Order: sequence, then structure tokens, then C-alpha cells
Amino acid sequence: MALSVLAGLSILVLGESHLTISGSLIESLHDELNKQGAAVHSIGACGASAQDWLVKKTVDCGADRVGTGKAVVRGPDATTTPISQLIATDKPDLVVLVIGDTMASYDKEAFPKTWAWQSVTNLTKAIAATNTRCIWVGPPWGTPGGKYKKNDVRVQLMSRFLSTNVAPCDYVDSLDFSKPGQWTTTDGQHFTVAGYKSWGAAIAKAIAASDSAKAVAKTGAKPAAAAIPAAPGARK
Amino acid sequence: MIHLSSPLRRAAIAAALLAAPFASHAADVALYPTGPSEDSSFVRFVNTGDASISLEATGSNATLALPPTKPASDFQPVAANKALVGAFLLGTQRAPINVTVKPGEFATVFGLVSAKGELSTKVVRELPEDFNALRASLAFYNLDSTCTQAGLKPAGRDVALFENVPNGEAKRRFINPVALSVQLVCAGKPQGAPLALGSLAPGQRYSVFAVPATGGTRAFFTNDALTN
Repeated sequence: MALSVLAGLSILVLGESHLTISGSLIESLHDELNKQGAAVHSIGACGASAQDWLVKKTVDCGADRVGTGKAVVRGPDATTTPISQLIATDKPDLVVLVIGDTMASYDKEAFPKTWAWQSVTNLTKAIAATNTRCIWVGPPWGTPGGKYKKNDVRVQLMSRFLSTNVAPCDYVDSLDFSKPGQWTTTDGQHFTVAGYKSWGAAIAKAIAASDSAKAVAKTGAKPAAAAIPAAPGARK
Repeated sequence: MIHLSSPLRRAAIAAALLAAPFASHAADVALYPTGPSEDSSFVRFVNTGDASISLEATGSNATLALPPTKPASDFQPVAANKALVGAFLLGTQRAPINVTVKPGEFATVFGLVSAKGELSTKVVRELPEDFNALRASLAFYNLDSTCTQAGLKPAGRDVALFENVPNGEAKRRFINPVALSVQLVCAGKPQGAPLALGSLAPGQRYSVFAVPATGGTRAFFTNDALTN
């Protein structure tokens, strides 16, 4: 059996509450990446948007999981950790960001585009400054309504926005992984275990197929020349 | 007063961070915010003249110098829908500033000096339609009433980057991130020498300003940096 592109890679996964709940991506995505031979560190912080990973910020809940160990779930003492500090400590080959639902303003009439642009670019610049490859995973379809007022129109807008604003990170469009409403949610936004299993498997597959993963692969895979993005450090 | 730093913006975002419990399939997780209550807003100040002017914030000792060598400040985050009050100063002249920025807006407050040396204020607003990390974003501001049919062309080429920008207005567009020099055009005629913008970077935003000058209209350029 051929080795996965991810074999031997160190991967840091950061995200929102989709990485904090038991049975969520902190299990499904983390396990999929582990299975492919990557050394994985996943951190979830409830409600954290892109800019919150530039500072240490207290959040309502969180989780942290390293390798094949169990996730350490935290309550109101949970915090984010600045991305520069995490990268300096973990020295990952790849950073994977699962951030979207915390920035879409589902319950507001207007999408805060300027705020989102500032937040997203501040985080991608901070990662690029370390010359670390990154992959941004956008939000999936939810179930319209619920406590978060998630809706199909806004999640599409958020995904389109991220697809053109996360460079030099690669973008993974989670909307391609299912049909609207296909994965059952508990509150319109968070999935049942089955949904997280499907989402996690699809993300892991997309990561393995990404140019970023191929560029840092230790198994000989390389991205197509035309698809290689500019060296992160070259970007202002 | 004019706020020269970002605490109000951060406070607005913090105010949006409401929390309430909900039940998930496996554990209780706090209901978290999905974005701020209000979009971010920014303001910057630009000196269009060839003499140094300064900016004074009402109700504080905060001042900001705008010398001709650095005529444009960075964009500074401000609270939306709250009046920013102050004045531009040139010698003994004061030009009052009273600007309210809407959510998502980038406002540029110009300190204008007329041919007679009179100081005045002009506000030009941009509400970006889109952002793009793969392309450069270039704006052209026309601040000279004598420059009709104002536009920019790539130097040495008869192709319009911008055309017919009215006095007191701005237009913005995405362009490929390449090295670029531009030629200011008024009423179809080139004004001054081409202006080298250098290598434009993807994801960055830039502005070219057309302003009154002795013997015509001159152009200058700035990177639309944000103060974090």
C-alpha cells in the first residue's frame, strides 16, 4: 500500500467549537490524519474567530489533543494561544485552520466583510511570516435556523469570501462535501457524530490532495508546477 | 474627539461576545458569537499640500503631523456611527473636522490647501465591495477641481486604469500584482511625469491621489496600511 502524502508530517489543527465537542473533528479529523501517518496536534476554542488566534483569549470552552492521546476538554478556563507561539513550539509542517462559522454573522443582516478581511489576513500573514504552509477549511452546510441562525445564503457568502481571501493558504471548500441539510445537526450548526465523521474524512482527504501537503510531503509527492503558490515569505 | 487607536473597536467586538448555554449531542457548549455586532470602520488623514499640516483631536492633546514627506496616515480603526471631531492646523488656520464613519467604511479626511493658501477639509468614503488576497487593490482619488475627466493610465500605454473620476470622489479596482508605473491624465492630457508604484503585492491595497499643485495637478501614492 502506498504511503499517504501525510505520512511523517507534523500537522497543527486549529479551529472553533467543531473541534471541541466529544465526537467532533477533534476525534474524526484528528484520527483520520493520524491514520495516514501524520503527527497531529488539534486545538479547538469555542467561538474563536481568526483574529483570536493572534492573542491569548479566554473562551467558554475548548479542547486539546496530541497524537493518539485523548482530548483534554476545557471549560471556561480555556484560552486560545497566539499562532506564532504555537508554530514556534510545534514546528508543524502544515497548519490547518477550521474557521468560518464564528465569522459569518448568521444572525445579522449584514456580513461584516471589512472585519472578516482584517481578521483573516492578519492570521494568514502571521502564518506566512513563519514560512509555514497552511490550509483553511471553510464552513459546511448546516440546517437553516437554530440558535445560531445559520442559513444557506450566508454560509455560501462566507465560503466565497474565504476562498478569495485566505491565500497564501490553500482553501478547502466544505460545501463540496455534502448537500445542504445532508448531515444532521443538533442545533443548526453542530453535527451529530455521523456528520463529524463524514466531514472529518472529507477534510483529511482534501488535505492529502492539497498543494500545501504535497509541497511539504516526505514521501516524494510534489504539487503540479503551475499550482505552486508563491513562497509565503515573499508575500507582503 | 478623534480616536487615534483601536480600543473602541475592540470594545465593540467584545460587547458582541455574548454567551448562553445550549445542549449538544455529547456535551454542553456555550452558544458562541458568529461575528461582531457591527463591521469594522477605518479613517485616515491626508495632507494634499506641499507644506506640513497637523491634526488636532478635540478634547485631548493628541496631535498627528502630516508632513509632505509622509502626507498620509495609516487607516486607523474607529467606532462606527460616532462623530470624530478635531481640526487640521496650518499656521494660524484651523479647518474643522467632523466625520462619522459607517460600519465597513474606509473614510479618508483630506486637509486641502487652495492656490490662495486657504485650508479646508474634504471627506471621501469607500465602502469596499470585495477583498481579494490574490490581487492588488488600487484606488484613485481626485481632489483637484481643475482636473476634469481625471484618470490614470499605465505609463507608456493608452489604456485606462481609471477614467472620468469626478472631483472629490474615488474609484477602486483590482489589478494584477505586478510592478506598475501610472500616468495621471486630466482632460485627456498627461500631467507630470509617470508615478512609479513599485511592485504591487497580492492582497495589498493602495491609493493614488490627484491634488492641486503649482502649474497643474500632481499625483502621489500610498499603501493603504492599517494601524493594528
